[in-house]
Amino acid sequence: MLIIILRRLLQAVMVLLFVALISFLIFRFVGNPVESLLGQEATVAQRAALENALGLNDPIYEQYANFVWRALQFDFGNSYRGALPVAELIALRLPATLELAITSAIFAVIFGVITGIYTAINRGSMMTNFILSTSLVGVSLPTFLIGVLLIWLFSVELNWLPSFGRGEVVDLGWWTTGYLTVSGLKSLILPSITLGLYQMTLIMRLTRAEMLEVLRQDYIRLAVALGQSKRQVYFFHALPNILIPVITITGLQLGSVIAFAIITETVFQWPGVGLLFINAVYFVDIPVMSAYLLLVGFAFVVINLVVDLLYLLIDPRLRDGQLRKEV
Amino acid sequence: MSKTREMTAPLLEISHLSVMLKKRRDRLKAVDDLSFKVYPGEILGLVGESGAGKSMTGSAILGLIDPPLYISSGEIIFDGNRIDQNASSIRGSKISMIFQDPLVSLNPLRKIGDQLVEAIRTHINMSKAEAFDRAKTLLAEVGIDPRRINAYPHTFSGGMRQRVVIALALAPEPSLIIADEPTTALDVSVQAQILDLLKRLCRERGTSIILITHDMGVIAETTDRVAVLYAGRLAEIGETASVLNSPRHPYTKGLVAATPRIDADSYKKKLFQIPGAMPDLEQIPQGCAFHPRCDFANAQCKIQQPPLFEDRSACWLLKDGSEIS
Ligand SMILES: Nc1ncnc2c1ncn2[C@@H]1O[C@H](COP(=O)(O)OP(=O)(O)OP(=O)(O)O)[C@@H](O)[C@H]1O
Ligand SMILES: [Mg+2]
Repeated sequence: MLIIILRRLLQAVMVLLFVALISFLIFRFVGNPVESLLGQEATVAQRAALENALGLNDPIYEQYANFVWRALQFDFGNSYRGALPVAELIALRLPATLELAITSAIFAVIFGVITGIYTAINRGSMMTNFILSTSLVGVSLPTFLIGVLLIWLFSVELNWLPSFGRGEVVDLGWWTTGYLTVSGLKSLILPSITLGLYQMTLIMRLTRAEMLEVLRQDYIRLAVALGQSKRQVYFFHALPNILIPVITITGLQLGSVIAFAIITETVFQWPGVGLLFINAVYFVDIPVMSAYLLLVGFAFVVINLVVDLLYLLIDPRLRDGQLRKEV
Repeated sequence: MSKTREMTAPLLEISHLSVMLKKRRDRLKAVDDLSFKVYPGEILGLVGESGAGKSMTGSAILGLIDPPLYISSGEIIFDGNRIDQNASSIRGSKISMIFQDPLVSLNPLRKIGDQLVEAIRTHINMSKAEAFDRAKTLLAEVGIDPRRINAYPHTFSGGMRQRVVIALALAPEPSLIIADEPTTALDVSVQAQILDLLKRLCRERGTSIILITHDMGVIAETTDRVAVLYAGRLAEIGETASVLNSPRHPYTKGLVAATPRIDADSYKKKLFQIPGAMPDLEQIPQGCAFHPRCDFANAQCKIQQPPLFEDRSACWLLKDGSEIS
């Protein structure tokens, strides 16, 4: 058990080092930091001095090690624009993105699992068919279009909800939150739906498929034959058995929710790291780009790790290292 | 034994049960006008080749027939009450079930103790702690160390798991257990142990068993009476010893002849096989369903479905009380 966890941790570290490598290569070789910092008018001597100062003449592996070492201390260098430390820029905007991602993930999981189970239990009912066919629309429309449609309907036509920004936020010192004000909460609704709709459909379809599969199993048939109630059959027997695949997909989706927040943040002018990244791309602000990449990679790895540890919690067979359930 | 049996009321009485399969426009008969009784405390075998409708009969008794299948006619009377309309009240509490494959009959994510407690408390009103104690007693009875009550199913072998399943089936104190090929997935030596265990526990409690199998050897060793099914119809029914020693229906004769016997020179003899195969539901022949495979079939067999003669066998050749040789 402990060995499994340690092995998994080691893997996570390896993956992170690899992500860091890519991020470092972008940082180092895309664009030219010296030119970006000094402009084109600088003398050769000035350039050489800066190159030395930045360690650009050191062996490449030393530069990589330095990069990783600094990243561990949240030092990603300064932004080319405005010369603020990148870490500070990101810290300023991370709460917005995380709140958006978490809200939409919660929305996606709750509605996805509920409708998934509902449509599996009530196969062929009118409601089920309605949910299934509308969900098809959910997967086939691109995110930005959904966002624009929602804005048109709820902001422009009905004027119920704001169409951009975070609304009022409360500053907790190290974190700014929109959860504590009415306008903050209202502002979260449309972007969260936009961002979470696709994941919700995915989770719903997966939950439904898994549930149908599990309900065919002999231990379910036995539980029914032994007279256990629907509630017992669905919740005591079936639900735990669909958790593993559902958690997997949810975890992976949470990663992509953070990554794809870029589009939603652009549509809703949401002041998060996604929008920061888009602006960085626009101005070829390499340190910001590479730090963002590292951040997203980190989020993916951590989420995957948590997912794997949750497996161990749920499935006793995995705890015993007996089999690795393919998902 | 047969005299006393006739005087007691049957525990389960199935009369003229038919189960149909709805397939687009067609209505196919999967179980056709089946009647038999199960008496308190007896073990009735249900035997026949694959597709004979054995499992479906079991499901019908528990009310577990789902569309596209449905019960089209007949009555199922249990303990004096009709249950074919509403089986959910007796499901588990009065009649329980054991399936073929113990590897998949237990929920892999739940401790066996929790599953037992759940099964007990579904039907018997008692506290968690009491149910837990009862679960331990049951485990001991089926030959599993009660200290393993908190173990998960994957830590048990197939035979051990089937013991747990038996404990699960016995937990609510049913008066009838339907065991659908309970030992088919196990190796031969374990098979015998499990059957002995099931038989002993049911004898102690006076629980009846319907034992579904296609193994004549299992029938011979375990059952009191046996019903032979062919293409959803009853071919022959009677005391096990009598049916096996002097089968009346040509199909039963074929089954008995096809059963390997272990004696000194058995390896020299080629085992008998009934020619042909059981028909699909779509292609059940007119008349006696067995006639295309039967050496004795005459003109009547091809046209008219035989009734059960002498409460024993559905074969035209027995019409005059004569026996075929
Ligand atoms: N859900 C279903 N849909 C269609 N046909 C079915 C269904 N279930 C069973 N059948 C058919 O009904 C017939 C009887 O099936 P049943 O499972 O009762 O056979 P069995 O005697 O238990 O056979 P086995 O020894 O293989 O378990 C078979 O021809 C089978 O193909
Ligand atoms: Mg069967």
